[in-house]
Amino acid sequence: MSAAASGTSKAAHGDVAAKRKKGPGALATAYLVIYNVVMTAGWLVIAVGLVRAYLARGSYHGLYYSIEKPLKFFQTGAVLEILHCAVGIVPSSVVLTGFQVMSRVFLTWAVTHSVREVQSEDSVLLFVTAWTVTEIIRYSFYTFSLLNHLPYLIKWARYTFFIVLYPMGVTGELLTIYAALPYVQKTGLYSVTLPNKYNFSFDYYTFLILIMISYIPLFPQLYFHMIRQRKKVLGHIEDYGKVE
Amino acid sequence: DKHLRAQSKRKPAKKTKKAVVFFEVEILDAKTKDKLCFLDKVEPNATIGEIKSMFHKSHPQWYPARQSIRLDPKGKSLKDEDVLQHLPVGTTATFYFRDLGAQISWVTVFLTEYTGPLVIYLLFYFRVPFIYPPKYDFTTSKHWVVHLACMCHSFHYVKRLLETLFVHRFSHGTMPLRNIFKNCTYYWGFAAWMAYYINHPLYTPPIYGEQQIRIALIIFLFCQIGNFSIHIALRNLRPPGSKTRKIPYPTKNPFTWIFLLVSCPNYTYELGSWLGFTLMTQCLPVAFFTLVGFIQMTVWAKGKHRSYLKEFRDYPPLRSPILPFIL
Repeated sequence: MSAAASGTSKAAHGDVAAKRKKGPGALATAYLVIYNVVMTAGWLVIAVGLVRAYLARGSYHGLYYSIEKPLKFFQTGAVLEILHCAVGIVPSSVVLTGFQVMSRVFLTWAVTHSVREVQSEDSVLLFVTAWTVTEIIRYSFYTFSLLNHLPYLIKWARYTFFIVLYPMGVTGELLTIYAALPYVQKTGLYSVTLPNKYNFSFDYYTFLILIMISYIPLFPQLYFHMIRQRKKVLGHIEDYGKVE
Repeated sequence: DKHLRAQSKRKPAKKTKKAVVFFEVEILDAKTKDKLCFLDKVEPNATIGEIKSMFHKSHPQWYPARQSIRLDPKGKSLKDEDVLQHLPVGTTATFYFRDLGAQISWVTVFLTEYTGPLVIYLLFYFRVPFIYPPKYDFTTSKHWVVHLACMCHSFHYVKRLLETLFVHRFSHGTMPLRNIFKNCTYYWGFAAWMAYYINHPLYTPPIYGEQQIRIALIIFLFCQIGNFSIHIALRNLRPPGSKTRKIPYPTKNPFTWIFLLVSCPNYTYELGSWLGFTLMTQCLPVAFFTLVGFIQMTVWAKGKHRSYLKEFRDYPPLRSPILPFIL
């Protein structure tokens, strides 16, 4: 949703002085290119891992285990993107990026990792697939944008695939959280009850339900924002490389 | 003939003692640049406030408080006190208008946001039905610190309400309407969250008992008096009905001596009060409320400190925004 700066030529021509509004300097650009290449590669590894596991087992079931570690690694690594915004080398809102990344990290660790029983659910495969395809496209989009050679195909893919992948991912996420609920309630996972000396309580089960409810106002907003972006970006084919 | 000439001389002489150049004012929409209003024969010493009233007549939906009038579409808002002829405009002045949205008075917002916590906390204190298990309805806590906490919390908000009505002198009349929803959610929400635990039947009193509670109460009262002293000192800086800004200095009241080290000691004392209340109740939600409030007050203090520095050349250099020497 938020491209790493430069469609402008300044950074690409090795302009060392980091201009305030026009994207990162040369060093920052080099770092971002490396970051985005590494992330693209990482998610490709996950994609390949999924395909190989499917071919080996012959079923869609339980593929999570074959990519568990790279998924955790690369999804958690995305936290760096919040830093990029905070430092200013990427012109996106810290809050928005933070929110998006943390929601992914939450699902990866606080739900899928923490509630072992949901790991064999097919809903996990649903959102992992959606994330994998999305991220491969997104990170290669950023890589090419930074290098100022963005193939129209990648731009098109980035602003088109989400139409299916977004709802697919959301469905997988919601189903997974829903599947986790009975186990969380039974074990009291991450929950604190009274009495205690801090006079505090937290019910993770209720919290997860509230999270699910929050998808209702949030998802449409994000989805239609992307649709609007799509009209803006793909609507003008002459505006090469110009990104929000 | 002579008679007629004398008459014609007299008439214009009455109207204009010396040649007065009337201004023409046109008001354009800052975004669309549409001409919204044209005022002719505007007195050169007319204020922006008066122009706003005139604009309001032709556009009754935009009362003066929600008008932002600027010289430049993206520039700063002009003040109501600014005089037309002292502005960098020609005899035909062009202003840009932005709608600030529905406005609500500061007094209204303060009264609403402070009455909420006062009432809500008491609902939990008296254990009104549907909050705790029914067997506890309308019972009272067996811990005396819970009664003390209720008194302190209530005192705090009553003090705030009275200060809003009788002490504070506001420089802005209004704020955007949506702020009242935001602010009330914050104050009312946190009040409910804190009150729920402090007045809970399973509440655990402070670990160090009476000692902890006593120290906490002293801190709380000290900071309440301090906060009040600062509010009085700030009020006395500003004559009634004025919007002047002056550098605050320590007065005879020892609680104001903190002005030597801090620009916004009202926030410093407020932090202290809530730290005292946290210690008194030993309740994590209270600690969270204190933390969030501290972050917000620090942002405000830094902003105020910066504008003091910008406005006054001789601003005391030793002062920090909110915490002596630290922040």
